[in-house]
Amino acid sequence: MTRLLALVWPDLRVPEADATPFGPMLDALDDLSPRVEAVDVGVALVDVTGLGPTWGTERRVAARAVMLVRSVAPIPVRCGIGDNRWLATLAARLARVERPGAPAALHALPAGVAASRDALRELPLSLLPADLATRQRFRLFGLTVMGQLADLPRSAVGAQFGPAGERLQALARGHDPRPLVPRRRPEGVAAAATFETPLDGIGSVGLILRRLAAELCDRLRGRHLAPGRAVLTLTLEDGPALRVAQPFPKPALEPDWIARLLLSRLEADARLRSGPDDEEPRVVSVRLAFDRLTDPASRQLPAFEARAGRWEELRWSLERIRHRFGEGRLWQVVVDRPNASLPEDQSRLVDIGQ
Amino acid sequence: MRTDASVPPSLATALETLRARGLQMRRGSDAPAPERARPSVQTGHSILDAALGTGGWPRGAMTLIDGPAGNGGTTLTLGALAACQAAGGLTAWLDLDGTFDPAVAARLEVSLDWLLVVRPRDPVEAIELAAWLARSGLIDVLVLDLGLRAAPERRALDRFGALLARSATSAALLLAPGGRAVAGAVAGVRVAVRRTAWLAVGSDIVGQRVVASVERHRWSLAGRTAELDLWFGEGRRIDPLLPALAEPRAVEVISVEQPALRVVGA
Repeated sequence: MTRLLALVWPDLRVPEADATPFGPMLDALDDLSPRVEAVDVGVALVDVTGLGPTWGTERRVAARAVMLVRSVAPIPVRCGIGDNRWLATLAARLARVERPGAPAALHALPAGVAASRDALRELPLSLLPADLATRQRFRLFGLTVMGQLADLPRSAVGAQFGPAGERLQALARGHDPRPLVPRRRPEGVAAAATFETPLDGIGSVGLILRRLAAELCDRLRGRHLAPGRAVLTLTLEDGPALRVAQPFPKPALEPDWIARLLLSRLEADARLRSGPDDEEPRVVSVRLAFDRLTDPASRQLPAFEARAGRWEELRWSLERIRHRFGEGRLWQVVVDRPNASLPEDQSRLVDIGQ
Repeated sequence: MRTDASVPPSLATALETLRARGLQMRRGSDAPAPERARPSVQTGHSILDAALGTGGWPRGAMTLIDGPAGNGGTTLTLGALAACQAAGGLTAWLDLDGTFDPAVAARLEVSLDWLLVVRPRDPVEAIELAAWLARSGLIDVLVLDLGLRAAPERRALDRFGALLARSATSAALLLAPGGRAVAGAVAGVRVAVRRTAWLAVGSDIVGQRVVASVERHRWSLAGRTAELDLWFGEGRRIDPLLPALAEPRAVEVISVEQPALRVVGA
């Protein structure tokens, strides 16, 4: 039998809330279960089936989840446990804190179809995700609690309220066929090199950068993945580490392009940071990480239009030109209003870097 | 004992031999120098391609389009861009004065999808950017429109020319009259463009007739000319409507009933 834990952070559900901690909290939940779904900002579902022998009762499992997410951000959280998505999220809505100021609230609906249906019986129909018109019609028919809707014949509900009404009745009976869809954790690969004798100057890391990029590209090529961003960290002998996160124009498995782009970015950063009399930094180690891995199957245009492949390669050169010369130099014409009456209104110049 | 055959020819005899061979003898060889095929990109005008001798603007070199403003230099260059794109090339326009008009380019059949527009801050930066683009090896035709700005100094142009020679990019220069002396010395090809007549339909000017003279060519004979009809966008559109345009130069008035093409003195 499936048991799901729903976690709802009311503070993250408000429109102007800063949702930054949500991602790391999901990452933290990965330590509890491999099946975690981000339903929406501020709502997560965790498959806790079979965790009893490891962590104990469901209450202890929920306590463990709360501990993990509060280690990221101490935000109040409501937890609910049920047999399916609907029951777990409904339980989270029903959860009330046991004492004022408590960091979390938990409500668990009993396991099993019959027990769940009994637990829902006295709950108001307003808890169902129905639109206003349907709710008014429920009231017209004298239906106020879920038990009343659940006891009606399905054909009668279908005749009166249509397929949407049938779905609501299934929810009132505690049925929800939608499965939990585990999120795909952001993947990344990394490689590093340490030098016994530090390298003089940032420009001298070019070769090692090329080697590391080739190594990572080989690893990803076997998995049919391409990186969308590189994060390069240089540890310096005397000074804070240099960290550069460089998104790519397009996901690509081209070590030369990647190494050249990263080097130009490093040099641009170094130009900004250092004065004319500053000494060249001495590099102790280099760490290169690729993330935003995607399936390169979507980049097949060059197979049909050879020029598209060259244009893609050109985009990498242009990125380096942007690093060297700054913004506002490179433009492309976009025809976004081809039917405009005046020719000058049909197209506009767009900064390629934007 | 030396035979007659081993006696070196006198200087006069050697010069005579060279003249007979059209001064094409190379040192250390009896054979005439082979005609070096210069890769090129078409200009979009077959007459001009023929006049240039290399089949178009040479790759790995600068071509200076010389002529007063409004004499078709930009139109000629846009035509070359369109021809290059039609052959599957990538193009770039370095627009120093910000005068590049996408609408005009589109009317002249330039595909805006494969055109990069670069806006440098000054002529020096323009040359640097052009060098970066040429070095990428991905741009086929690069137009350096310096507008009314002063030409970059000779050293920068020389450096760019040397870099260009190692690439497959063909660069076209559009310059203000003041800078042409400097750029003309560096450019491998110099083409002077001069308007000879306007082309009109009714009272509308739809194009201009220009004479393009190849004044300098490092890889072919200079001195040839080509008479070109450069149509403005509207002229291109009505072009299929004019039935007798196959020989436009032969007629002054094509038809009195149809919209008639007239050649008006410039």
